[in-house]
Amino acid sequence: MKISMKLGLFLIGVLVLFVGLAGSLIRQAEAVSAGYDALLARPVQASDRARVMQVDFKKQVQEWKDILLRGSSPADLEKYTQNFHAQSAATDRDAAALLSELDDSQARQLVTEFTAAHATLNAVYEKAYQAYVSGGFDFKAADAMVRGQDRAPTDICDRIVGRLGAYVSESVATQQAAAAVARKTSLILAGVLLFILWAIGSIIVKSILIRLKTLKGVSDRLASGDIDGLSIDISGRDEIGDFGESMKGVVAAVEELMSMSGSGKDSQARA
Amino acid sequence: MGTKLAAFYEQTAKEFGSTGRVKLALLTKLSSAKALEAPDTPEAIKLFEESLEQLRRTMPPR
Repeated sequence: MKISMKLGLFLIGVLVLFVGLAGSLIRQAEAVSAGYDALLARPVQASDRARVMQVDFKKQVQEWKDILLRGSSPADLEKYTQNFHAQSAATDRDAAALLSELDDSQARQLVTEFTAAHATLNAVYEKAYQAYVSGGFDFKAADAMVRGQDRAPTDICDRIVGRLGAYVSESVATQQAAAAVARKTSLILAGVLLFILWAIGSIIVKSILIRLKTLKGVSDRLASGDIDGLSIDISGRDEIGDFGESMKGVVAAVEELMSMSGSGKDSQARA
Repeated sequence: MGTKLAAFYEQTAKEFGSTGRVKLALLTKLSSAKALEAPDTPEAIKLFEESLEQLRRTMPPR
């Protein structure tokens, strides 16, 4: 194979390997990016929604306290009652939305428990509210009916937020591990490809240099007129092989010239 | 051993002189001394014939 062909193929090989390497790196970067997108789309969003649900529930409890404290005024009673029901409905909506977004079975179970506990609490609130309104706004009696009742849903809500926070941390850790594996794979792949290029390049360069050195030896002997027993053993069907073949003609011509020169001297000597 | 090949050198010397012999050596990659030692293979004879023809086409006769 001609040297020009070898070098051309080597160059194409380098290009193909580097294009392949670049493609592999791009695919890995896309995979890491997609992993983080999925993380933001599901676990992080669910964690945020859980916090919103927690806040809405705490606002509902606060609105209940406002009813008890200020409900003796009809305007305030209406206002805080509306707010109370609005926060209760918001909490239920948050819980339903959260349930539809969750993949984690443990978190789903907690949300289901929260929904049930919230419904139970709402029923207790309703009884206490009726007692409060019909009992001359006796906030102490109404408060006694619900005292400690919000603790269970509050605890469950805290556990949901905690569980989802941990789930986000686990997902981030998993994603970081995947990114680290991708980085390591890229480095190994790049190293292997560079080693292959170095090995092939070295073989090509070495084969060229060894044969050029042989040719230089022939050239040096020709230059010094030392052609006795000179042979040109250059194998290969490339440019160096062709050059070696041409050199054989040159050596033969020099031999012929020296032979004729020797004959001429002999003739002159004989004369 | 190479008598036919050596004969080509004699013929070349007759037709073109020393320059022809050197050019024949260039074309055949075989000097007259080595041609004398080389076997008269059909391939070698063909090469010498073609080389002599080339000389006749490209060189003025002596």
